Order: sequence, then C-alpha cells, then structure tokens
Amino acid sequence: MTSIQCPDLEVLFTELEAGEGASLEHAASCPLCSAILEEHRQLEKDLYRLADPLPPPTLVANVMARVATEPTPLRRELWAGLSILVASLGVGLGLLISNDQALSRLGTALAALFTDGKVLIQGLASGASAIWNTAAGPVAALLVVLLIVSLSGLKRLVGNGPHPSEA
Amino acid sequence: MNALTLNPLGDIAQAIGSLMAEEAPALPWKADVQAARRGDPSAFEALVRSVQRAVYGLALRLLNSEAEAAEVSQEAFLRAYQNLHRYDESRPFDLWVMAITRNLCLDLLRRRTKVRTEELDPMKEVLPSGEASLEEGAIARQERQSLEEAMGTLSVEDREVLALYYVQKRTTKEIAQLLGCAPGTIMARLFRAREKLRKKMTPEEPT
Ligand SMILES: [Zn+2]
Repeated sequence: MTSIQCPDLEVLFTELEAGEGASLEHAASCPLCSAILEEHRQLEKDLYRLADPLPPPTLVANVMARVATEPTPLRRELWAGLSILVASLGVGLGLLISNDQALSRLGTALAALFTDGKVLIQGLASGASAIWNTAAGPVAALLVVLLIVSLSGLKRLVGNGPHPSEA
Repeated sequence: MNALTLNPLGDIAQAIGSLMAEEAPALPWKADVQAARRGDPSAFEALVRSVQRAVYGLALRLLNSEAEAAEVSQEAFLRAYQNLHRYDESRPFDLWVMAITRNLCLDLLRRRTKVRTEELDPMKEVLPSGEASLEEGAIARQERQSLEEAMGTLSVEDREVLALYYVQKRTTKEIAQLLGCAPGTIMARLFRAREKLRKKMTPEEPT
C-alpha cells in the first residue's frame, strides 16, 4: 500500500543521521519504514554496547622492551641533520677558500645535488626540524652567521672570480 | 645531564609557541610526544597505555586473531617510536598509531590471502541459526556473542567501519581521515555494512 512511495533505505538512513528530511517524515507515518527504523535502532543499540577487548597485559612491557633497544628519536634525527649540515658547510667553506676553482666546484656540487637532491632535501628537512625543536636559539644564530659568510663569499666570488665563459 | 635542556633561547621559543597555541584545542598527547622525542621512556609508555586498547582492538577486528593482533600492535608502536619525528602534533596521536596499525594489518592480510585462500569460511557454520526466538525475529534478543560472531563473518572493510564507528565511537570524519577517503563514503560504507549485518542477524524470514 504505502510501499510504492517508500524511500530508498540509504536515503532514509542518511536523513536519520542528519535528523530531518522528507523520507524521515514519511517514515513517521509509514508502518513499513518505521519497522525498519526500529530494527535499525535495535541493531545500533547492540552495536554500541560492544566493547573493544582488553589487550594482553604484557603488551606495554613488550613494546617498552623493544623501544629500549632503539636510539632516541630526536638524537637519531639530530645526527643525520648535523652530518648533512657539516657536509654542506664544508662544501661552502671549500668554495670560499679555493676561489679560482670555485665555479667548477660549484658545477660538480650542483651535479651531485641533481643526482641525490631529493634524499639530501628530505634529510635536511627532517634534520633541520629536529635541530630546531631542541635548539632554536643557537640554530638561529648559526643560520645568521652562515648567511653572512655566504653573502660575503658570494660578493668575493662575483668580484674577482673567473669569467663564466672561460670556465 | 642533558645538554639539550641548557638552552634558554629554546625555552623562550617554546614558551612563545605554547602561548600562541593557547587558543587551539587542547592536545593532550603533545607534551608526552615531545618528551618521548627527547628520549623519555615513561612519556612514550604513557602514550602506549593511552591508545593500546584502540590499537589492539582495531588489529583484532581486522585480523580475527589474538596472537597476530598482539604482534601487530607491538610492531605498530615500535614504528610509531621510530617515526615520532614525522608525527604531526596537531593531529590526534591515537589516529596516527591506528593508521600505522591498519597498514600493518592490511599487509598481513594480503600476505595471508596469498598463502591460504579460503580458510575463514568455516566460521559461517559456527553461527547459530537463530534457534532462540524465531517468531519475533528480533535483533534485540540475540546474544552479544552472536553479534560479535556475525561481525566476524563480514568482510574486513565492513568489520573495520562498523568497529570504528560503533565500538570505538569514532566520528565519520575521523574514520575518513584514517581510511583516506571522503566522510560521505564512510556513511555509505557504514550503511552497507550495517545492512549486511542486519541480514545476518535476522533469521531467514518465513515467506
Ligand atoms: Zn515507507
């Protein structure tokens, strides 16, 4: 009788979730739909009563035993970040010291950057964030020094470096 | 003893950071995560304790095996520890570990189906065929045990979404975040899973 106008179940339940809608209004006066809603309500009630089982009591101890053999998360990152920073600092200083060969070295450095640039950038990013988390102050100071050194180096490079076309 | 704590500027930066974060919703796991990153085992243990039930519960629903669920939960916590620096503190810690757990479970299930194809099917025969009260056909009369059993016969996807929504009381938004899909998809999936369960729970209707 009323079933011809009965809404799609999915629509009905979506409206039930929203709390309003034409299908929900229909269900209020339709015995078929209200029976489905009642069945649904009962199932939901039972489902909500289910609880997650307790994990085995040894779980935490087992996890902590395995964690104890691991390096500290931050220290691991710190070392990776530091080694990369030191390496790039070394390259930068090398560029400044050996001024006449600077451009050719820059070329090889760039080539190296192209080959494993992704790894380098990823490492740098996580390392830098780790360092920043622990020592924001000194890192900021170091960055300023690094910037000044690089700028002055760049100035010298532009000032008396070999002409690009000769390289 | 820790050189990292001798850092007044860092502390100031941290203080400013916490001041700025004051209007944001409380992040209960944040302090423990930061302490754990610096190597404080008791902080990580507190984190494990706070989410172990949700993690183990999810693993058990997905794997249907207590031994495997315990093993995978351990592995998930270990990976969480190893990747703690990648964790974004603004997102719920429990959901992050659950996502790791879920990936490990799905890997295991994939390997499992390669080894043995259809060993889980006999479960269906174990199900009681509604001897209790056929005339009422009522889900409400069913024992909790049989609801668990009926859930156990559903597909992994159906079990997962039902368990997260009803047992762990996650919002559809949280589930969507965990499963990597739109909240609308979760509603539809939830609906289908529940309908399958309703059919399993309702004894065959006399026509
Ligand atoms: Zn109707």
